[in-house]
Amino acid sequence: MTKEKETRREFLKGAAASAGAGAVAALVPAAQAQTDSGDTASELRPTAERHGAFFNRQQALTVAAVAERIMPGAPGKPGATDADVLNYIDLALAGAYEDQQYFYRRGLDALDAYCRATHGAPFASLDADDQDATVAALEADQADGFDWPSAGAFFNTLRTHTMEGMFADPVYGGNKNFAGWNLIGFPGAQFTYTPAEVTSAEPFDRAPTIGLQSQATRRG
Amino acid sequence: MATTRTDVVIVGAGGAGGIIAAELAKAGMQVVALERGPRLNTSDFAGQDELRFFQRQDTRPDVKRQPVTWRRNASERATPLGSLAYGNQAGGGTVHYGAVSWRMHEDDFQARTNTIERYGADAIPSDSSLADWPLRYADLEPFYDQAEYELGVSGKAGNLRGTRIDGGNVFEAPREREYPLPPLLVEQPSLVFDEAARDMGYHPFSTPRAILSQPYNGRAGCSYCGFCQGFGCHMGAKSSILVTKLPEADATGNFELVTGAMVHRVNSDGDRATGVSYWLPDGSDNTVEADLVILAPFIYDNTRLLLLSQTPQFPNGLANSSGHLGKHVMTHLMARLLVKFDDRRMNAYMGPSAQKHSIDDFNADNFDHSGHDFIRGSQISIGTHNLQGGPISVSTINPPPGVPRWGAEYRDFIADAFTRYASMVAQTENLAYADQAIDLDPNVKDAWGLPAPRMTYDWRRPNERARVEFMLQRMEEIGEAMGASQVWRAPLSPGRPGAHHEGGTRMGSDPAESVVNRYGQTWDISNLFVVGSSTFPTMSGFNPTLTIQALAYMTADAIVNRYRGSPGPLV
Repeated sequence: MTKEKETRREFLKGAAASAGAGAVAALVPAAQAQTDSGDTASELRPTAERHGAFFNRQQALTVAAVAERIMPGAPGKPGATDADVLNYIDLALAGAYEDQQYFYRRGLDALDAYCRATHGAPFASLDADDQDATVAALEADQADGFDWPSAGAFFNTLRTHTMEGMFADPVYGGNKNFAGWNLIGFPGAQFTYTPAEVTSAEPFDRAPTIGLQSQATRRG
Repeated sequence: MATTRTDVVIVGAGGAGGIIAAELAKAGMQVVALERGPRLNTSDFAGQDELRFFQRQDTRPDVKRQPVTWRRNASERATPLGSLAYGNQAGGGTVHYGAVSWRMHEDDFQARTNTIERYGADAIPSDSSLADWPLRYADLEPFYDQAEYELGVSGKAGNLRGTRIDGGNVFEAPREREYPLPPLLVEQPSLVFDEAARDMGYHPFSTPRAILSQPYNGRAGCSYCGFCQGFGCHMGAKSSILVTKLPEADATGNFELVTGAMVHRVNSDGDRATGVSYWLPDGSDNTVEADLVILAPFIYDNTRLLLLSQTPQFPNGLANSSGHLGKHVMTHLMARLLVKFDDRRMNAYMGPSAQKHSIDDFNADNFDHSGHDFIRGSQISIGTHNLQGGPISVSTINPPPGVPRWGAEYRDFIADAFTRYASMVAQTENLAYADQAIDLDPNVKDAWGLPAPRMTYDWRRPNERARVEFMLQRMEEIGEAMGASQVWRAPLSPGRPGAHHEGGTRMGSDPAESVVNRYGQTWDISNLFVVGSSTFPTMSGFNPTLTIQALAYMTADAIVNRYRGSPGPLV
């Protein structure tokens, strides 16, 4: 566990203790699940044998592979796997987006059937060209076998959630080690920019990238 | 079930309701405000969290609990809108807005008369209900001034008692005095925008915003963190009603705010309102009896509440003898342009994120429309896409033609563009049309079992299309002059309602042609007022909030100084 994670956990525990309220205390396990999520996610990667918070192993393999085609990594350019987008989506579907579980189940089933019918194998087993052709068919809403969600709607949701996993604050389980923010040059939740900085045509480099966890520490 | 009694009950403690509550309570009236959402405070916004506040819209209505449906025309079945932009808590939309705070032009109050004089009656589309306001700019000037000074607005005057001042908006209506606070800092995108606009002969200026450029009234100045539109301000530098008027109302001892209160009916006895009924989260049905009932929710609920409160005397909706309730709805048409630079960073994620700097050269009738196939206009501003500069927002930008939305090429695009792009927006005026309307959806109900408000709306009319295309072309020219390496258009919406909503309970000078008078007092029921943008007869090319607030001050003044002494019609 990183120092950052420890401090956020301590912050939440401290908040619960000082409030002494059941409602606040009940938040802690959920928050811990999130701060521990980096560890869980590494076990969900293609060699994984364990289930995630929502996805079964096959679903996890598929979502990780699709996300990586939407935002592929390259040397010096972190992608969806580097950012742990799979972990973000898995946690979101087990929590804030639980109303989209059926949408994902149906979409993933249709995607699996489409890939087997078209390429003779599930998505995660295809080579990169066949994976890209499949994603392109989804985006164009031209993959057979989808009813609800439509292929296009399923692509749009996967794309949106991949972007959220790349660029949301790491407390939500993605954007691991600020992979997404480093890719694009976003310094995160800075408290302030100086007059010289807002006027400048140069990249911002005064302070390290900052997320909500270190903010919590500073405020605590 | 409880019944209480008060002098004044206000529905909605937002941009308008909060002002009226504070002003009436300060004058010694007992005020109860009923707010559907919670009351948050500045420490609730401590997280600069784009996922929670921008993407998941934490301060906005839950569209599943509070659906609003939309159809393009009366022959379609309406479906729920996927997101709603208004506020859902004490302070309303002023908690998460971009805080852009314009005064409307003198001409905006007389658009019909002026259009006919300058271009002839044929210039107005035959199906448009374009109308003059029942008041003039001069009537509202003292209340614009009061709003700017009491709330805290940063800007530079462009017209001080008739003297034009370079660097301010030289097209603005004459103001009696300078803004209370100097303009916010000029950021890199605005520097480049201003230089190009000046070279082209336009008149750029810092957009007036209710964001403190310096400490003011005990609140800290803006830190330029960039988590602005879509977010509650984590340091209270945004002059929301939550940190300005609600504390004033609290201090009087005459004010009670009830949160979680879902008002479902305005009660009346003949041509007199007697109070309102509301549900609390525990399911209880409660009633406040009041001498004065003031409706100040977002525009959907003004129309919906009056429709739901029908009586034998008012079978088409309370206070709707005119038949105009729910009609003449307008929204801003968003013409948007992206620019990207190879030779510099824009760093558009820094600083207040809505319209940073603007030109007003193509707004209202500030330019000659002869030879154009449209009337009215838009301000044009530089800032961020979606008025919010974080990476999730930027990921929604449609990349330039030829660049896909995913894959290695897209990854390289967003990696390059995030710090090098800026966005222009023309929030374009939408004329009033009677059939742009709100009514009750017969099929969709909200979480309380009430019919959802239903919008019938499609902005894509000839006048509107021509105006939007004109603005896109002007923005393209500015983008080229800025030296951008790429300039491209964002897609237009497929007819959907845009930003800001106005109309539904329009004000006028003729009771047969309008729902309320200039004070928001309903023509039919003199102790029932409606305050907010739903009373606007025309919308202008400006964000509506400061005008909503000025109207709220004017109504409060009329109630305290005239109505209270002799209740009855104010005109």
